Amino acid sequence: MESILETIGNFLNTLGPLLVLPVVVAVLGIILGQKWDGAIRSGILTAIAFVGIFLTVGLLGSTLSTVGQAFAERTGTGLDIIDIGWPAASALAFGTPVGNLVIPIGIALNIILLLIGVTQTLDIDIWNFWHMAFVGAIVNFVTGSFALGLFAAAATMVIALFLADWSAPLIQKHFKMPGISIPHLQSAGYMLLAVPFAWVIDRIPFLKNLRLNPDTIRKRLGLLGEPMVLGLIIGFILALLAGQGLQEALVTAVNTGAVMLLVPRMVAILMEGLTPVSEAARNFMTQRFAGRQFYIGLDSAVLIGNPAVIAAGLLMVPVEILLALALAPLGNRTLPFIDLADGPFVAAMLAPLVAGDVLLTVILGAIVMGIGLIFTTLLAPAVTNMVTSGGVAVDIPAGYATYTVMSDAAVPTSYGLYYLFQTPQVVAIVVTLLIIVGLYFLKARFPLGEKIITPPEEGGTD
Amino acid sequence: MKKVYVVCATGIATSTMLRLKIERFLNEHGIQANILQYRVTELSPSRMDADVVVATTGMPPEYEGLVPIVNGLPLITGVGEKEALEQVLNVLTGSTKEE
Repeated sequence: MESILETIGNFLNTLGPLLVLPVVVAVLGIILGQKWDGAIRSGILTAIAFVGIFLTVGLLGSTLSTVGQAFAERTGTGLDIIDIGWPAASALAFGTPVGNLVIPIGIALNIILLLIGVTQTLDIDIWNFWHMAFVGAIVNFVTGSFALGLFAAAATMVIALFLADWSAPLIQKHFKMPGISIPHLQSAGYMLLAVPFAWVIDRIPFLKNLRLNPDTIRKRLGLLGEPMVLGLIIGFILALLAGQGLQEALVTAVNTGAVMLLVPRMVAILMEGLTPVSEAARNFMTQRFAGRQFYIGLDSAVLIGNPAVIAAGLLMVPVEILLALALAPLGNRTLPFIDLADGPFVAAMLAPLVAGDVLLTVILGAIVMGIGLIFTTLLAPAVTNMVTSGGVAVDIPAGYATYTVMSDAAVPTSYGLYYLFQTPQVVAIVVTLLIIVGLYFLKARFPLGEKIITPPEEGGTD
Repeated sequence: MKKVYVVCATGIATSTMLRLKIERFLNEHGIQANILQYRVTELSPSRMDADVVVATTGMPPEYEGLVPIVNGLPLITGVGEKEALEQVLNVLTGSTKEE
């Protein structure tokens, strides 16, 4: 069994994502009831998207790899690992052998778990299966086993569904969105870690009284919410600190701004290819589960218009930069960059834990990201391997300029499984299964239904 | 030409799903529209020139009354999808703004 899987893994690796993913997407679309011409178009779009993503990530690499190293050396901060950001990482994760198969496996697993009644979440957010692909890919890298990579991806899927079930009552109540749950690890993955900290900071009276006004913050820091502008500013400052002259620094700034704008555009093409499949999957599943009570599992993006979430997300930009610098002596080498634009995803599901208070959300975010940042550094070899073996045209000089992805490598499920699978196989598998069983009881017995802090009155948190 | 903004938290994921759905729907109804995709944090009230905004995420309060906002979540979950699309259509055909 395992050797067959390894052969499949090697075969997929040899063909590469440009050939494999379109076929998987098209075949899956047809199985799920999509018309064949539409399904083939979807497949082709995903391949085209990969071409665009590789080109633009290459631009990021060529612009930043030398800047990162020069910055680290000249400033003495040691922050030489560049954050490539989730848009690029998502595509690269789908492009790995495990990622090629994660969509059909994820859908099948979700259907089985719904049928046997252990989850209430119907995850129609096929796009975010990339988080499972990411975990599978780094486990594949660290163990060298394609089979274990697939197992880790499947386990991550189950964990995501259980976290979604567990947090659903709180999320539905806080955001006033009945019937949904969020199996999206970029946000839900932080919750379990954050709950004890939320309990603690709730008991510090002085913090509770410092209420920050989300609207003021959004007006003051609004520009940071635009990735292109954020890219320009950060790129310019980095280039100057890295010792570039004014003209050269401006060119670097334009290039980093371009990366912030262009990579997501390419990813949107991938999304365009995957959307019909996700729609077909949704119809396929809802038809079969008609009349049953379930939550529709969505991207945490749907929570982000909430002013407190945006405000906390904007504040995460300076906080993450300061954290990276402060944690450098403790081993952090990650230079926060592209994922600075994605603070709201960190904040989205932490906010309900502290009744939507902006300051407390940022404190929680700083805690989980502080822990996470160290791991982004430790996981950098796995991410760099994903970048280089994915087909991105970047030269990585030996010994430095490695890449990481701040949003996903910092999620506890990612680093947890990465380290778990460095233990002997049997231990890793048994512990993973125990975690899953534990989460099942957690969500069945102790759903997150209560706000941990009760606000004095409705203070504009919604 | 009418302008439709499709908005989500990333400007990538759910807004793409909205764009594809709305594009197809408006084509079927013979309406030409310029559909632009945005992330919610890059919008600003002073630059808002859409005829209608369809968003999968809550829009900040300053847009209320400034532009018609349609909740795009039904297009993602499939629950109440028709009604949401009708709402977009009504806003676009109801208003008599110049071409």
